[in-house]
This record gives sequence, C-alpha cells and structure tokens, in this order.
Amino acid sequence: MDVLKLGSYTFSSRLILGTGKFSNSRVMLEAVRASGAQLVTVALRRFNRQQAEDDLFGPLSSIEGITLMPNTSGASTAAEAVRAAHIARELSGSPFIKVEIHPNPQHLMPDPIETYEAARILAKEGFLVMPYIAADPVLAKRLEEVGCASVMPLGSAIGSGQGLATSEMLTIIIRESTIPVIVDAGLRSPSEAAHAMEMGCKAVLVNSAVAAAGNPAVMAEAFAEAVAAGRKAFMAGLMEKSGSAVATSPLTFLGSY
Amino acid sequence: MSQRITIALNGEEQPLPPGSSVGDLLSILGSDGKSVAVVVNDAIIRPENRSTHQLHQGDRVELLIFAGGG
Repeated sequence: MDVLKLGSYTFSSRLILGTGKFSNSRVMLEAVRASGAQLVTVALRRFNRQQAEDDLFGPLSSIEGITLMPNTSGASTAAEAVRAAHIARELSGSPFIKVEIHPNPQHLMPDPIETYEAARILAKEGFLVMPYIAADPVLAKRLEEVGCASVMPLGSAIGSGQGLATSEMLTIIIRESTIPVIVDAGLRSPSEAAHAMEMGCKAVLVNSAVAAAGNPAVMAEAFAEAVAAGRKAFMAGLMEKSGSAVATSPLTFLGSY
Repeated sequence: MSQRITIALNGEEQPLPPGSSVGDLLSILGSDGKSVAVVVNDAIIRPENRSTHQLHQGDRVELLIFAGGG
C-alpha cells in the first residue's frame, strides 16, 4: 500500500491540514473530517479564561486517526522554538514538531539559521522534526543531514495564495532529498496541490486555502482528491515532454504529408 | 490570615492565597488542567506534580493551550 512514512509513523492521507484562520472551531472540525487528514497542525497559545472554549485539543483528539503536529509559531529564535517544542510535546504526546521560526511578521519568511539550529537540537532529542523553510536546496540537504523527518519548503509566502512560485527550486529539493519533501504554504487551489504531488512531493500542507474558502469543508475534500490524484499520476509516471507534435493517430490513411 | 502572594500569570499579576499549588491555581481559573501545559519559572510541571508543586511570591507561571495554527 502506498503510504506516507514519517519516522515510524505511516499515513494513508498525504494531505496535512492546518487549523488556523477558520471562522470558528465547528467549521474547522468539519473541514478536518472532510479532508481525511491524519496529520493536523496546531499552535500554542496562552490560556485565557475568557476564551477557554477555543481549546482545540479535546475536539481534535476526538476525531479518530488524527495525530497532532504542533508548530513553534511565535518563536523567533532556536531557543524559543526548542522551548515551545518541549511544551507542545507535553500537551500533545506527539513526537511531531513543525519548526516554524519567522521573525518578521511582514513577510513571515523562515529564519534559516535559527531553524537549522532548532531542528538539529530537536532531532537529537528524538522529535520528528518537520521544518518549514524557504525553498533552498542547500538548507534542505543540511536539515536532512541533522536527522529531520521531512523538509517543508514553501510554495510561496504563508497565506498569500500565490501557488508554486518556487517550483524550480522545489524540483531540485525533491531530486536531491532522501527524506519526504512536503510543500507547506502558499497554495490556493487544489490543482496546485495536484501539481506539487505530480512533481514528487510526498505530501502537501494547506491551511489558508481551506480556511478562507467559501465552503471550507468542500474545499478540504477537493484538496484531498487533488492530492490523491497527483500522487497517483506521479506513481504512474508522467510521459516525457516533446518539443514538437507527436501524432496519436495514423496520418497515412487519406493522403501522405 | 488575609496575606496573599502575587505571581506573574501569563505576564499579568495574579494574587493567590499563600501555600497555593499549581493545582489550586488551575481550580481558581476554572480549568480541569487536562489540556493545559503549565510552566513555572521555565520548568514544565507535569500533571502528576501539580497538586504538590507550591507557588511562591514572584513565580512566573505560563499556562498554554493548543489553538488553531498552520
């Protein structure tokens, strides 16, 4: 069976869903169910007496087959990300951690140096480290070498919906990597997710594209189908491109060229 | 005895009766503590230690939960 392998975990779904930006938790939970995602990201937030009902741990844990992947959003240094990872593991009981260190809220681009350092420490501690990175083949290789479970290069800026703007670099990362490459951030439409899978990504992570859709649950389903179709196409093997036309029908019946 | 201690709870002052434990604090806040991570002065306090871990004047307490995030 074709499954996504991350550490000792296997997943039949190759769609990872983020839980931010939904209008409310009921809509978010419907989307998670509709997506069939088995790996779902969450963020750490300070407990607030007035917003206690926002806590997602209980509702998400009640969905069968869900593994949580907390992120380190809010951290702007490796030390802060490591601290967040320890707290998140305490809460989730999950070894997965999405290392996400973006010090500048204007562009949310990940800090490669702090990300590398946090990933190195956390991988050594036994976490299944999933670093969110710019589409940088050299950094991706370095993260593989320190024991990350995957690399998650961005397709375009977080929440921008600009799609696979980095496809040239993603192609190199996919070719060079021996760990799963997961496109994280920037996707807007299911066709982009399918394209990423056809390129050889092992999974895609989407959040805004579903949360900000007119109907999040239906869009979640559309992404799930697109990811599955893209994966199937990749496994089937795409035909070679040709610089000129290649006939699919015989050209000799009515006359010759 | 009406004397109180003050801790810094998620960065804000929170008065408490002297001798309060982490568990007492969670009860005061109306939390069952099940899905809350507790960090006191940068150390994670595990659920099994919350009823015995006493809070002191000036302790920095962080309570964290999971919220939506991508």
